[in-house]
Amino acid sequence: MKFEVSATELLKKLQVVHGAVSSNPVLPILEDFLFGIKKNTLTIRSTNLETTIISKLAVVADSNFSVAIPATILLNTIKSLPEHPITISVDEETYGVTIKSQYGKYKLSGDKPEDFPKLPERDNTNEIVINSSSLANGLTHTLFATSNDELRIAMTGVLFQIDYNKIIFVATDAHKLVKYSIGNIESEESSSIIVPKKGLSLLKNALPDDEEVTLAYNQKNIFIDFKDTSYILRLIDAKYPDYNAVIPVDNNNVLSIGRSDFLSSLRRIAIYANKTTNQVVLNLGDNSLNISAKDLDFSNEANEDISCEYGGETMQIGFNAKFLIEMLGVLKPEEIQIEMSNPTRAGIIVPVEQIENENLLMLIMPVMRSH
Amino acid sequence: MVVYNPQIYRKYRLYLSNYSSIFTIYILYDRAVLHLDLDSFFVSVECLKNSDFLGKPLLIGGTSARGVVASCSYEARRFGIHSAMPMKMALRLCPDALVIRGDMDSYSKYSGLVTDIIAEEAPKYEKSSIDEFYLDLSGMDKYFGCFKWSKELRQKVIKESGLPISFGLSVNKLVSKIGTGESKPNGEHQVQRGTEKQFLFPLSVKKIPGIGKVTYKKLSFMGVRKIETLSNIPIRLLEREFGKHGKILWEKSHGIDESPVVPYHEQKSMSKERTFKEDTLDLNHMKNMLIKMVDDLAFDLREDQKLTSTVTVKIRYADFNTYTKQRRIPYTSNDQLLIKHILEIFEKVYDRRQLIRLIGVKFSGLVSGSYQISLFDDTEKEIRLMEQRDWIKRRFGQDKIMRASSLKTKR
Repeated sequence: MKFEVSATELLKKLQVVHGAVSSNPVLPILEDFLFGIKKNTLTIRSTNLETTIISKLAVVADSNFSVAIPATILLNTIKSLPEHPITISVDEETYGVTIKSQYGKYKLSGDKPEDFPKLPERDNTNEIVINSSSLANGLTHTLFATSNDELRIAMTGVLFQIDYNKIIFVATDAHKLVKYSIGNIESEESSSIIVPKKGLSLLKNALPDDEEVTLAYNQKNIFIDFKDTSYILRLIDAKYPDYNAVIPVDNNNVLSIGRSDFLSSLRRIAIYANKTTNQVVLNLGDNSLNISAKDLDFSNEANEDISCEYGGETMQIGFNAKFLIEMLGVLKPEEIQIEMSNPTRAGIIVPVEQIENENLLMLIMPVMRSH
Repeated sequence: MVVYNPQIYRKYRLYLSNYSSIFTIYILYDRAVLHLDLDSFFVSVECLKNSDFLGKPLLIGGTSARGVVASCSYEARRFGIHSAMPMKMALRLCPDALVIRGDMDSYSKYSGLVTDIIAEEAPKYEKSSIDEFYLDLSGMDKYFGCFKWSKELRQKVIKESGLPISFGLSVNKLVSKIGTGESKPNGEHQVQRGTEKQFLFPLSVKKIPGIGKVTYKKLSFMGVRKIETLSNIPIRLLEREFGKHGKILWEKSHGIDESPVVPYHEQKSMSKERTFKEDTLDLNHMKNMLIKMVDDLAFDLREDQKLTSTVTVKIRYADFNTYTKQRRIPYTSNDQLLIKHILEIFEKVYDRRQLIRLIGVKFSGLVSGSYQISLFDDTEKEIRLMEQRDWIKRRFGQDKIMRASSLKTKR
């Protein structure tokens, strides 16, 4: 049993699929790629039980068969080969794998394909179709805001809320929250699922530009298909916090400001803030904003005045500059508004004009400032 | 035998140490370090407030059956009483001694007073405890005369605060401190450059700061009583017996100490502990006590604009077995959260159903900053409440508002 394939073509696929191979897996077989050949199509699969990645590739094969091949050795071998056809042959009984290149032969031992975990069942799914660039946008806007707290498993994922004609992405770590919705989606029903962030970051890096992506989901998994690649992510089975309830609706102190000016000012000031807590203070007055930071341990301090429009109450409000910088960094529109109520309540960041078919809202909790 | 030659040693250190390091600078010229220590500080303050106490054996410390002596007058020391001795034992040695509980607030006030006087005069000072100061007088000898200047400073402190104070003046912190110890009470002592060894060698190794009960015992077993004997032990042997500490011991015995006078010490942790009047099994009482301690410490955290990332619970059973358990948490100064963690840790560490003698709480891993409010855990009401409570405590005193559960913990 053998097949022939171009080394570079294979490498491209392997690199994508390798994302789901964990370095220290629970089962030894998870260190392998599963190769399956059917009618001159090679299907490569890897899984860490939470994320499964599948990619397809046309090859020239002499029969239909499958085998599990140790991922790291194979990937390293293919990586160091130049663009040239290679032949991979497999011994039917021992699952020994031989790679033949123009330079020589490389042998490694494969594993029984039957040992590889089965694919999750794809039944009772709902499907929606979304543009890959929109999906990538949704992920860029939300992934950074997810939590790392394993005790609150729901917040380690991104909430996909499908609501008939739109999809809402929500992420929060209890200190910041992002809600990003995209319209123009066709769906027959409304439902919401929590997708783990690890799989999503892998997906984000592999998404092509402007292609159609199908999201099919049931109670347990989401199946994401585009071109010749599929991602299957196991959903987080937990209750997502009621995020709508915590988004304030009556924040009357509105600051209008240019995003890039604000961002670069914050970046400078943050250098002078405490390295662990990154706290900065916004001092708001009539059409004036002063940003300041102090690091008592090193007697470093800095402050800047930047131009803005502000007609609300005078107030001093403290924020973690790192959060603000992250949020402003992913925003695209230049004109933004920060809506605040008082120094202990959430501030909301929104673009002055929403992009068509998009709706973006970011929320940040202040730090408590005594005295 | 290792022969100690200061010239070679210094060159060696100079060679070893990074040129930018603070130590290098000191080696380049002669240092002069003054150590000031207020004599039996708490007692002196009490005498100042009430002259009836003068000349009487006075003990300050816990008055309950298991209290310890925090400070005692020189009259009481004559009976063999020393600080950290159980009060019961002290009273057995001197049944007529007067015992008072002490008033930490007024001690800090007087300590602050002395600090102000020193700060006004000294070029660079370090307050190493409530009643001890180090001053760096390097380079002042030529113009002022270090010893003369120190004498004047001491007289000024005595005149302006009314408290007796002693000092030791020498080339580094170590020798100065030992010098102060030798000059007490109410004295002054200078150890001239080059005479450090003459001064140190006849003294007991116990006099070296950093040699506690355990090290002293071990040294005694080795037959080492005098600093001179210690100085003759090869450094290798000390390192074998005491590990890293061995080298420091050897240096100390030769009067070598290059630690600089550091004007400001960053606080690394804050803690509270409490010994019960009687060993107890009363879980509710212990929990209330923990809550009270966390409440007080969390208030201090917020006042200092600090956050903690490590919390520790300590318990001591009646048999003196002591256990601690700590937990890393996200940076916080919120008492609600801290109480939750502390009680959870307490449940874990208290696993023997035995009488408890002492419980304590410690916050460490401190950084400057304010509490990051959480979107889901904190309600606006709770944050407001915390702010208002802090305001009342600041304005009217820490004990003016507290949780109902803390009421019962009051004595």
